[in-house]
Amino acid sequence: MSTTETRPGTPGPAADAEAGARPAPPPRDFDRPRFLKVFTGVFFLVLFAPIALVVLFSFNSSRSLQNFEGFSLRWYERFFENEALRDSLIASIEIALLTMVVATALGTLLAYGLVRARVRFSGALNVLLLVPLVTPEIVAGVSALLLFTQVGLELSLTTIVLAHITFSISYVTVVVRARLASLNPEVENAAMDLGATRLQTFRLITLPALWPAIVAAGLLVFALSFDDFVMSFFTTGESPQPLPVRIWSAIRFGVTPTINAIGTFMLTVSVITIGLAIALPRLLGRRESGLGVLLGRENA
Amino acid sequence: MDEQRFAIGLLLPGALWLLLLFAVPLGILLAISFGYTDDLGTAIYGTRLDNFEQAFDPVFLPVLLRSVGFALATVVLCVLIGYPVAYYIAVFGGRFKNVLIALVVLPFFVNYLVRTYAWIAMLGDEGLVNGVLDRNVQFLNTPWAVIGGLVYGYLAFMILPIYAALDRMDPALREAGKDLYGGPWQTFRYVTWPHTLPGVLAGTVLVFLPAVGDFVAAQLLGGPDEYMVGNLIQQQFFAAENWPFGAALTTVMMAFLLIWMVLYLRAAAREAREAAA
Repeated sequence: MSTTETRPGTPGPAADAEAGARPAPPPRDFDRPRFLKVFTGVFFLVLFAPIALVVLFSFNSSRSLQNFEGFSLRWYERFFENEALRDSLIASIEIALLTMVVATALGTLLAYGLVRARVRFSGALNVLLLVPLVTPEIVAGVSALLLFTQVGLELSLTTIVLAHITFSISYVTVVVRARLASLNPEVENAAMDLGATRLQTFRLITLPALWPAIVAAGLLVFALSFDDFVMSFFTTGESPQPLPVRIWSAIRFGVTPTINAIGTFMLTVSVITIGLAIALPRLLGRRESGLGVLLGRENA
Repeated sequence: MDEQRFAIGLLLPGALWLLLLFAVPLGILLAISFGYTDDLGTAIYGTRLDNFEQAFDPVFLPVLLRSVGFALATVVLCVLIGYPVAYYIAVFGGRFKNVLIALVVLPFFVNYLVRTYAWIAMLGDEGLVNGVLDRNVQFLNTPWAVIGGLVYGYLAFMILPIYAALDRMDPALREAGKDLYGGPWQTFRYVTWPHTLPGVLAGTVLVFLPAVGDFVAAQLLGGPDEYMVGNLIQQQFFAAENWPFGAALTTVMMAFLLIWMVLYLRAAAREAREAAA
């Protein structure tokens, strides 16, 4: 068989090394099961159909969800002219921005400390870091609500931000730590041997190398916070409520085209944010893609 | 030593934050679940077991069991749907691999409520499908609607780890299976499946945990007969105003899920060690 030819080992030209990192022999067409292809196609169809429906009917000129009767922006006008909804939108953006800034800072520092410090309780720290990622949101939401009422903190946008930061720190730390683990600590040592202080080394050597991961993680947190419903639901005050909480109350009264417009708008924000998270690390002049950074892999 | 102090100083704010805003609240949750409410409905700390007895009472036990049943059905469907898709992308995706996997992930960044709502628009009584069929099929308010909503909500958590496992697997192993006269099924059964089992198990936990605690799908796509423990908890906090009972239900759920979490975290730690070695 020809697979032996692609076995890595002999150092080839640079281009060859890049392509040969994962020697996948080109799939031959008779190898490709028709069934899998059709299955995957149907999967993507079902995956996107409901979303496409929401987007399409957000531009419908009538209330109907069955007939598209013509293009119109009236549901978007409804959305933006409604003062309460506008306040909610602004609140959601504020929450997401604040969460992004604080969680990215804390999470990055935590990642650095976890990788570089040798502490006795690092196992416990690791658990404290990873458990929030696998805890159902309702558990975290209920406990946050209990904490805020016990310490007498009135529910408001502040409590939402506090709750959002809590679940976001772990995402940032995991993404940044994966990146940090692939850095050679010798480079930092070299900088310090050359007279840089520890802080200078961190700022001039470590941080620049971490930028793609930090940017990607920050944008991921923005998207997660902007979209979050459950944590916000348990920690929100009366008004203004973030957009997803608003949508929740509205859906329970039935399907209205305005929700299509809000949903399409939120979807656009999320897609742009995630698109940036994938593209920005590339634009910052790195070879790796943001997708790989987010998935914690070296080559993606 | 100095370096130590610098690193610890950096990790301290984040670690303290998680301790005070994640670990401590879980402690409060546990403490309140032993409490009771006074005549005004205010939660009072106590040392009673009433709330836990009530949670396993014949009125509420079926809801707990239903949540586990729905979540298990969701996991099984996610494997059945997710594995072939991950396989196709990882093995036959070629240069479109990254694009395809990004397309899988993309819908999961659309707000979960909006995605669930989209299914109401599709399958509701006045939805698109009933319009096209020109009849009135009742899709919603059934157990399958809720399970379908959960699958649609969490499928990406299954596909990503399976995809990662398949992507890491050396294609030569499959070739070897074929060279040794294994048919496609045998090659899958004895080579590919065992190799990707850790990915399937990771996906299982990542889907099961949020599915058990979900209350959006049951509320929007189901009726009271499909209510899950999440709905019950939410009711205790917002409608019934019985916080200690809500806390007890949450504690019971968390205790049950903790077993799964520990298994998952240990597997993840082992994998990290192997990757480092």
